[in-house]
Amino acid sequence: MKYPLAILVLAALATPLWRQVPDASVRSVWDGVYTEEQAKRGESIYKKECAACHGDMLTGGESAPPLTGGAFLANWNGLTMGDLFDRIRKTMPQSAPGRLTRQQDADILAFMLSINKFPAGKTELYKQSEMLKEIRFESAKPSPKK
Amino acid sequence: MREKNSKRLQNGLFLFFAGLLLLSMPASAQFHPKATEWPSYAADLAGTRYRPLDQINAANFSDLEIAWRIKTDNFGDRPEYKLEGTPLMVNGTLYATAGSRRAVIALDPATGELLWIHGEHEGKRGGAAPRQLSGRGLAYWSDGKEERILYVTPGFRLICLDAKTGVPIPSFGNNGEVDLKRNDDQDIFPDLITGEIGIQSAPVVAKDTVIIGAAFREGMTPRSMRNNKGYVRGFDVRTGKRLWIFHTIPKKGEFGYDTWEKGSAEYTGNTGVWTQITVDAQLGLVYLPVETPTSDFYGGHRPGNNLFGESLVCVDLKTGERKWHFQLVHHPLWDMDISSAPILADVTVDGKPVKAVAQPTKQGFLYVFDRVTGKPVWPMPERPVEVGNVPGETYSPTQPIPTKPQAYSRNGVSIDDLIDFTPALRDRAKEIASKYHLGPVYTPPSVSTLDGTIGTLTMGTASGGTNWPGGSYDPETHNVYVYACNSCIEPIGLVAAPKEVSDIAYIAGTAGREVEILKGPGENAGADSPKPPKKPAGGGFTRMDVDGLILVKPPYGTITAINLDSGEFVWQIAHGETPDVVRSHPALKGLNIPRTGQTTYNIGTLVTKTLVIAGEGNVTTTADHPRGAMLRAYDKMTGKEVGAVYMPAPQTGSPMTYMVNGKQYIVVAVSGGPYSGEYIAYTLPSAGE
Repeated sequence: MKYPLAILVLAALATPLWRQVPDASVRSVWDGVYTEEQAKRGESIYKKECAACHGDMLTGGESAPPLTGGAFLANWNGLTMGDLFDRIRKTMPQSAPGRLTRQQDADILAFMLSINKFPAGKTELYKQSEMLKEIRFESAKPSPKK
Repeated sequence: MREKNSKRLQNGLFLFFAGLLLLSMPASAQFHPKATEWPSYAADLAGTRYRPLDQINAANFSDLEIAWRIKTDNFGDRPEYKLEGTPLMVNGTLYATAGSRRAVIALDPATGELLWIHGEHEGKRGGAAPRQLSGRGLAYWSDGKEERILYVTPGFRLICLDAKTGVPIPSFGNNGEVDLKRNDDQDIFPDLITGEIGIQSAPVVAKDTVIIGAAFREGMTPRSMRNNKGYVRGFDVRTGKRLWIFHTIPKKGEFGYDTWEKGSAEYTGNTGVWTQITVDAQLGLVYLPVETPTSDFYGGHRPGNNLFGESLVCVDLKTGERKWHFQLVHHPLWDMDISSAPILADVTVDGKPVKAVAQPTKQGFLYVFDRVTGKPVWPMPERPVEVGNVPGETYSPTQPIPTKPQAYSRNGVSIDDLIDFTPALRDRAKEIASKYHLGPVYTPPSVSTLDGTIGTLTMGTASGGTNWPGGSYDPETHNVYVYACNSCIEPIGLVAAPKEVSDIAYIAGTAGREVEILKGPGENAGADSPKPPKKPAGGGFTRMDVDGLILVKPPYGTITAINLDSGEFVWQIAHGETPDVVRSHPALKGLNIPRTGQTTYNIGTLVTKTLVIAGEGNVTTTADHPRGAMLRAYDKMTGKEVGAVYMPAPQTGSPMTYMVNGKQYIVVAVSGGPYSGEYIAYTLPSAGE
């Protein structure tokens, strides 16, 4: 009985790689690309690693830009989650860039999505830049697809 | 302890070119900058950002093309995405800070060719710095023979370089450097490596004195009510010797000490001057715009008015002795740091000449004083303001409110400010606003609760109005031109700080999202261990928009021309293309919405003989241009847009201008989002091109 269980576990772990894309075209942050649980993990990391400069409410400060609101949404609109992820990987936290793991960065990004009221879904946000590049950052909710 | 691992980047090849520059230098006895040069951060010591050039004008602005550009990625061990510098151009060379190393670069101003580079490797001290990246710029000094460049490293060391070669001047301080963490009338704690103090603004040099302020980390959720203090110092530009110090938090026995009750002057920190300092060299007076004391939104540990927090202070250039001061905000609670250079203006009010100083602010008031006496040019009566009820807090019952000019940007939030594009959108905006305490300027922060309000919804506080880029002043028209964010809403809620997080009673936060203390593995996880308390429902973060639309009505960002003879507005315009989300919003189809401007707080202006020039802070994609931002020019008399030129990323450093070889150039720093820092120089096509 142990063998099939292991297969099930492996299958569960692999699910994100195999998940069905609802529309064969492009997915966006409006398609439920992270989970609530992941955003919760991300919130703990955010508070410890990011809030001192970007603010508890993500509204930014004199030295750090806001991570919510007009300027943030406008400046990332039309780009991909991969761009945003790479930006965090390369430059954050400012005192020691690259100190956090890919998983932690993905969790923080999930928290940012939740704060910006993009809907949560059933699968966690990827932690590979190349895969994240397939998710478009759209600041406005697209019209329902026909 | 001096750091051992400091090493300097030099490129000997460039010394040859620098030598050529030396040969071509005029041997005048005194340094007199020309109108075609840009010799200090804000063009001059008066903070005007004005040059009387007019080769680039309304008729040709849109023809501008890129003369040269320089990416800053390689001036540090990683790229930076927040390039905020304004270069200098003097005596045929352009100087700038650049990159995550905060390197100094010297360029040929016509071609962008790199002449020399200098960088300081500060190791842990640089990594622990509260203000990193390339900063806002540097300072130039000359006595007509020698030329020097001065800047402050992220690790808070003042470096003095030979402007011709980039080599440190051995006779200045300790081999070209002064350790700013020393000789500061305080022991920087916990130590010289990690002790929190630094600066990102450009130094100012007036006559032979270099003036340096201080900056700290953001003060929203500090770990302690205790911090290092942000004193201001003057140094001899020839030797690096400290000439004077001004205690922005008075020491015992000094004027203002009694405005810190219960001995709070002893332990309270911050209160630095982190932005640009202005000097009237003729009068020998220095104008210091002072920031908020520790902490930004809670002052219960520092009862009293807290001089010189959020005060404009005038000190003597030679001695640092206080001449006058005016506290804009008593007992500061809103993070209304005085955030930009005071502007000096010689004007005529009611027929009488006035040597004035005008101070743009986050709260959207332009405070105008006689700069000799410190008396308000127009009355600023103390008016009653709301007194809050945060436990342990003390409140000033009044604040000075300028009667003239009127506020040039929103500085409070009321129901009237909420969007009214459609009744449905307005209802949703009202619903969001109903979760907050609203009110006019100086409505105090409030405790975040689950059954009451999440906090106070403010505007003109941390990021509203005018921030570090400041304004411009035109000595021809006597107009101040100033950008303001008119939609930078800041919810300020306070939560009791867990002792493990801070010794301050209240820090910024939101009920329902209490600070979580991370537990060790297995802790509280065994059988019969106490169950974790159930998290209350509700609370949490509310996004400040409705389907991507900002909660408040446009204009989102403005440029205002204010005449200083009359105190009246000459014009006010929305600055910046309407955001994509507004132009393409399904709920707004068919509505005729005039240009809204953009929500951003870091836009600086440049004024020339005929134009006011400023770039956009947001990216847009329109039928006229691909994804990018525009550098826009306005007729300075009317505010009418007369031209625009494409930039690949938003403006993040204020534009400057100069003439070289008969051509006018405009240089602007762009970066942000995925676009790493770049200086771009624009000029007109040469004849025949």
